Amino acid sequence: MIDKETAKKVLNQLLGSGGQFSELFIQKKVSNSLRLDDNKIENASSGFEIGCGLRLIYEDSTYYAYIDSIEESKLLESAKVLRAAINNSNINKSIDLNDSYSNYNVKILKYPDLVIPEVKKQILLKVNEAARNKSDNIFQVTASLSDTQEEILIANSEGVFVKDFYVKIFLAINVIAAKGSEVRTGYKSLAKSMGFELFDEKKPEDVALEAADIALNMLDAINAPIGILPVVIGPGFGGVIFHEACGHGLEADAIIKNASVFKDKLGCKIASDIVTAIDDSTLPYHWGSYKFDGEGSPSQRNILIENGILRNYMLDIKSSKKLKLPLTGNGRRQSFRDIPIPRMSNTFIDKGTEKPDIIISSIKKGIYAKEFSGGQVDPATGDFVFGISEGYLIENGILGNPIKGATLIGNGPEILNKIEAIGNDLDYSPGFCGKNGQSITNEVGQPTIKISAITVGGTGA
Amino acid sequence: MDYFSKKKNNNNDIELARKISRLIDKSKVDEYEIYISSSTDNELEIFEGEVESLSYSDSKGIGIRVFKEKRIGYSYVTSFEENKIIDCIEKAVLNSKITNAEEINGLPLRSEYRYTKEADIQKYIFDEDFFKVNIEKKIELAKNLEKIVKGKDKRISGVDSLNYSDNYSEVTILNSNGFEDSYKNTSCFLFLNIISKDKKDTSTGFSFLYERNPQKLNLEKIAQDAAAKSLMLLGAKKIKSTHSDILLDSLVASQFLGIIASILTADSVQKGKSLFKGKIGEKIFSQNINIFDNGIMKEGFSSKPFDAEGVNKGNTQIFKDGILKTYLYDCYTARKDKTLSTGNAVRASYKSNPGVGISNFYLEPSSDYSFNDILKKIDNGFYVVDIIGLHSGANPITGDISVGAKGLWIKNGNLVFPVKEVTIATDILSFCKKIETIGNDLKFFPSAGFIGSPSLHVKDIAISGI
Repeated sequence: MIDKETAKKVLNQLLGSGGQFSELFIQKKVSNSLRLDDNKIENASSGFEIGCGLRLIYEDSTYYAYIDSIEESKLLESAKVLRAAINNSNINKSIDLNDSYSNYNVKILKYPDLVIPEVKKQILLKVNEAARNKSDNIFQVTASLSDTQEEILIANSEGVFVKDFYVKIFLAINVIAAKGSEVRTGYKSLAKSMGFELFDEKKPEDVALEAADIALNMLDAINAPIGILPVVIGPGFGGVIFHEACGHGLEADAIIKNASVFKDKLGCKIASDIVTAIDDSTLPYHWGSYKFDGEGSPSQRNILIENGILRNYMLDIKSSKKLKLPLTGNGRRQSFRDIPIPRMSNTFIDKGTEKPDIIISSIKKGIYAKEFSGGQVDPATGDFVFGISEGYLIENGILGNPIKGATLIGNGPEILNKIEAIGNDLDYSPGFCGKNGQSITNEVGQPTIKISAITVGGTGA
Repeated sequence: MDYFSKKKNNNNDIELARKISRLIDKSKVDEYEIYISSSTDNELEIFEGEVESLSYSDSKGIGIRVFKEKRIGYSYVTSFEENKIIDCIEKAVLNSKITNAEEINGLPLRSEYRYTKEADIQKYIFDEDFFKVNIEKKIELAKNLEKIVKGKDKRISGVDSLNYSDNYSEVTILNSNGFEDSYKNTSCFLFLNIISKDKKDTSTGFSFLYERNPQKLNLEKIAQDAAAKSLMLLGAKKIKSTHSDILLDSLVASQFLGIIASILTADSVQKGKSLFKGKIGEKIFSQNINIFDNGIMKEGFSSKPFDAEGVNKGNTQIFKDGILKTYLYDCYTARKDKTLSTGNAVRASYKSNPGVGISNFYLEPSSDYSFNDILKKIDNGFYVVDIIGLHSGANPITGDISVGAKGLWIKNGNLVFPVKEVTIATDILSFCKKIETIGNDLKFFPSAGFIGSPSLHVKDIAISGI
């Protein structure tokens, strides 16, 4: 990594042609991944990357370049070439770099590079065995385990200086079950911003069993119904509905581009009274957490919606200046190769008061959507879809047949007003979110919720 | 702004690969393969007449695959100092200790494959004129596009995204059986997504264009496409749930075809993850449909002189007259089925081991029906202009497909009103059986490969609305 003096030199070099903001982002990343498929460890891969992204802002334009090196001479050279993109009178700004402070503090116990490959292999073998032992109907297990250790250094012309270190582990399990001609899949993941102590907290075999259960439960699934129905959405990954239907529209770049249905709605009622939604990058060890965002702003807990009223957007430095709103610590980037943009971290609907089984029993005919395969939204219109991977019919307040091939489709602002009940069982689920070609770690979350009416897209009656 | 203008550098990746091979030779592995990719990229985003962002990168990565006692290990690095490369080799060797040994693991054999590249292809995928366009011209081009599209109609309220990106890359492979070659590639891509508004409704419409050199980009065409798409959907309404015929726009049809393509790789078949397992020789489509994976197509954006393992790419007919003829293979899966690779080894980047994937994968158009001819055949149906949620709504393993759709309702052969917020649902095998008419308007959609389909008329599909 580089020291403050070198950082200052590079930042000054960038501003040499009259730019208003300069930044450097250095990242050193060591990663390992292991994949089990078809009863075999079929792939073991490791990687080492180091590089620096240089950013220069002049008025509304961002200029960006990166190099696969952190040598001072190369950084200065790149900065000199990048600044040629603008040609303004040279105003020399004096830069004073100060260590930034964040409340987020976690302790890593078992660093991935100190865990021998054989131990990692055993984790996947246990996963495979546990899932296959669950039932003879399980015929395929695919599992991957990846770990990353990252060192980050961020400095900008406004005085931010951040050095940081991250450790992340991701275990993903796919199980396939078959009975006769029916084939069903189950997926579960376990991911946290911590070391291999993650598996002391939760056994990989248990995650495997959860994935196996989904595939097995779905074996008897009937075709999903079509039309508008009340839907109960289960805790945890169900939060993807908020992430898609609402979260993306609250990212400030969509607001600036006039491409969000939530523009000019701060302080307005946009959801049912019972809805409080939060983006919180400070939750210790969570998958979407960080000490500082990709621009060096400290992580924060931001209330997006409070009792149905829109309170805040999610911002990065550029949008915060443009919209004249305070920073929220949501400027994130995939790597040193990418320009930071407003992104969610751990985003969830906060817990309510009702018991989940009471919520289900309130429905005469509807759907219980327990797990999802993901979703997509058009922020400009608010229209979203998401695919149900484990779902059940609700008949007279009781869970009935499992259903297959169902998608929910709706409109974000409309759905927010149709949330009729919120459970007391808040849970979270990790994943990745893609936007503008950048994939980053995200967590979604929610308790059990009830939506009074939404279109269910199946093939059945 | 010279930095942002690309220059053709005298890349010496073959030399670098040879240097690395001398280092690996010391490490006592049985076989190895070095994959180097060098790439320069420009990305440009325009918003309201100004450069929103402009980025430039020049990057290189090395992926090393080693075989030791029939086990495979992989590692990659982006630093080229000798000690970093040695670390990378050591990690690959270490990784090989925990993977499973299999007799069929290994490099393509000289006795089985040609080991020389398909020389012709190089000239189609690399265009010298690419370097004649400097960054100022690219900015001007993108700004022009914004002006053109905004001038199309006063209901166009804004541009959600207008991105120009281009790439010049070079891929080099060297393996211990004596393969040593490289190819270079140029491409540029425009993406446009616009927002239209009237008093009651907001709609979006996107379009894209790709060429080997920016001078060939037809701005009028992309502007017209995006504008037409967005405007035709203004005022869309939900409809009652029903079962009806659908007419898939060629780009939507390509996306459906992509789901089918993903389970035609021998890898998914051998692992039991494909509905096409055991179905060679069976008639899968009701119509006499022909589907090809052609890795050496002149105009194909996935065309390459050799695949990710150095095997020549070929032209494989997967379906002939609706009958499944073969799967797609790399060397490993081919040995498993006692056949030869079809040249379908792919890698996402130097960071990944080769696997099986498609190249230019397309459904052959018919000569009989234009889009309008098909339209006239439909008394009551849904013309699907765009779908969302394909990634989460289609499960290629189980075959279930349920996606969000918008488009126009068809009545007596005419497009009558716009429709939104409905889903269309089916399963892969039924979908194949229900294809009724194939258009003559083949269009390609760049995704994980380059996938093409004409418009498709499909019978009796479940539509869920109100």
